[in-house]
Amino acid sequence: MKFYEEKELLVLADEAISFGAIDAGVKGVFGYPGTPSTEAFEGAEKIIHALNDGRIAHWAANEKCAYEMALGCSYAGGRALVTMKHVGLNVAMDPLVNSALTGIKGGLVLFVADDPSMHSSQNEQDSRCLADFASLVTLEPSTHQETYEFTIKAFELSEKLRLPVFLRLTTRLAHSRGIVKRVESLPVINLGRPSRIETHNWVLVPGYARERYNYLRQILPVLERAVESYNTLTFGSNRIGVVVAGMGRAYFDQLCRQNEVVRTFTRLDVKAYPLNHEFIEKMCAFCDVIYIFEEDYPYIEDMFIARKKSARIHGRRDKTIPISGELTPAKLRKTLNIECPEITHKIEVELPARPPRLCDGCGHADSFKAIKEAFLKMDIADFRVFGDIGCYTLGYEKPHECIHSTVAMGASVGMTFGAALAGMTPSVGVIGDSTFFHSGINSLLSYATAKVNANLIIFDNGTTGMTGQQRTIFGNDIVKAIEGLGIPKEQIHSMIPLPKYHDENVKKLMEVFKAERPDVIIFKRECVQAAKNRRSATK
Amino acid sequence: MDNVNISKPFSVIIAGVGGQGIVTLSQLVMSAAWKSGYYAIQSEVHGMSQRGGSVNAQILFDKFPVTSPTVLEGTAKLLIGMEPLESLRYFNLLEKNVSVICSSSPVRNMPIYPNVDRLLAEIKKIEDSLIVDTDKISEELGSKGAGNIVLLGAASKKLPFTNEIWYQTIKERFASKEQSIIDKNIEAFNYGRKL
Repeated sequence: MKFYEEKELLVLADEAISFGAIDAGVKGVFGYPGTPSTEAFEGAEKIIHALNDGRIAHWAANEKCAYEMALGCSYAGGRALVTMKHVGLNVAMDPLVNSALTGIKGGLVLFVADDPSMHSSQNEQDSRCLADFASLVTLEPSTHQETYEFTIKAFELSEKLRLPVFLRLTTRLAHSRGIVKRVESLPVINLGRPSRIETHNWVLVPGYARERYNYLRQILPVLERAVESYNTLTFGSNRIGVVVAGMGRAYFDQLCRQNEVVRTFTRLDVKAYPLNHEFIEKMCAFCDVIYIFEEDYPYIEDMFIARKKSARIHGRRDKTIPISGELTPAKLRKTLNIECPEITHKIEVELPARPPRLCDGCGHADSFKAIKEAFLKMDIADFRVFGDIGCYTLGYEKPHECIHSTVAMGASVGMTFGAALAGMTPSVGVIGDSTFFHSGINSLLSYATAKVNANLIIFDNGTTGMTGQQRTIFGNDIVKAIEGLGIPKEQIHSMIPLPKYHDENVKKLMEVFKAERPDVIIFKRECVQAAKNRRSATK
Repeated sequence: MDNVNISKPFSVIIAGVGGQGIVTLSQLVMSAAWKSGYYAIQSEVHGMSQRGGSVNAQILFDKFPVTSPTVLEGTAKLLIGMEPLESLRYFNLLEKNVSVICSSSPVRNMPIYPNVDRLLAEIKKIEDSLIVDTDKISEELGSKGAGNIVLLGAASKKLPFTNEIWYQTIKERFASKEQSIIDKNIEAFNYGRKL
């Protein structure tokens, strides 16, 4: 049996989404890599390649592009899945918020993976708040089977409500492997384009947009009712209540297996938003104390605090649970005053941390060495380099110590330019090729005609290394692309970051840094991991 | 061998460094649990871990549905350590009567690596511990990657799955490879099983 025909699967929850989308008859899958969301796209891509039945899997240049492609696919009548991580959603917010006004044709499901405890992210933002902000519905599973089933239901819900639907996972579920039983796979669905009468919904000029906006705000009760059946309030014999969502629900269910008392609690299981206020009011009327276990922000908790009457609400706001960081089985126990098992094996040696590092033979290390030396030879000891997001973020650490900021995808390009305008000279930034095409390229347009000493260094390794070597959306000739933006040829410099060219590269960098004009330097060398994969694939 | 406690899942920790093959090993344990009819769940850490940092995988299986992919401190019954320092990093997760199978070969991709003998002495404080010289055995078996499967073979004695299930799991995992690679892995597994 082929892997995509198996009826029972042992998969990551991310991949449960891949299979859910395929079984829902998805036409197009779009996304931008970002831990812990990447495998949802990759899983679907693998099946789509194997099926070869006209479906599409397309990595876009960034999350906004991916979202817009999904919206286009939906407009054409096909079901569309778009995948990204939580911070990627910020990039996609513009089309996302407005697509709540245009509505959709083919079901549109947005899978967003949040990363509490920031295992591989720069913040802990909660996508439920952004779904709320856009007035959209969110489904939040807590097991692998639910993840699969909710993916299929999300497409149905999207078409029923004619709105995009969020599917929210957090790291622990996204990156855990569990069992999924599949249902019968649907054929690829085509609902056709929006009708002639509907077309003005898609033109958000004020006259039509006001109408659409009013409609969206008016249907909020409809959205609540549409997902009401996902959420369940179970009265227990106990006036202690728990509200559980996502991993909070997974950990609480596990705890129920081992502890009889918690089984008697009154519980509200939240699997979908917006949460109907009636649940909250009923629970607050019955319970004296309510504990809230949800990942990231105290989102449900704040709704309870607003309507609590005499019930005492314990969660992140009153510091019963730390305000940041993911939930753990131990945190649930501590909150509920349940004893944790004794830790018997204490160790008497100190364990130094093992920080992640650049791979042996990575070109980034040679690039950093050259940049640092160029600054030092120019007698700039306290030099500053704007960094970006990718493997090269590790350039902040020893032994490189060569970048000094990491803010958002593409931020180095704008920050380098802004600092140059403010008088920093030379102003230097470092960015990888995938991140450059993600959202750095827009800021580079400002360099073309400027007269400031802004120097952008692009580490071109032809891949998105950090997330597992996805191909960069752009082809090979990055120099031509930059020329095309209007940067004069003599201000574009290609170098190869190999030890044998080190002295030459340092000399060239010094010349460039000294020149009071914008320059773009391209350090081109293949990612060592990508090279390894390429060699084993051609074996 | 039926040492799955009715009141809590059987928890396994696999510890090591990014690139050592932790995910593969944990998938083998997970598959074997699944094939043996258990409910199973396994968590793994991706992302920064690809860059040679600390990595751990956790597998929980039970006769009843398991919903938590995360092991509670003080409850892991088995630790498979692919590297001494990383094995010690998760000692807070281990229960009193834990079994530990650990490689003695350090991965020194860091500025200062502690004294290996001290680390191993610390691991040996666990009554049911077995230190395996995976470098030496890999050389003996003539295969660089054999060490992991040898560890798995040694660990398999602590897990309630039959040899048939293990062989089937290994064969399926390496099905896309040549027969000689499957044979080598079975040989490494049997070697570990005898330790």
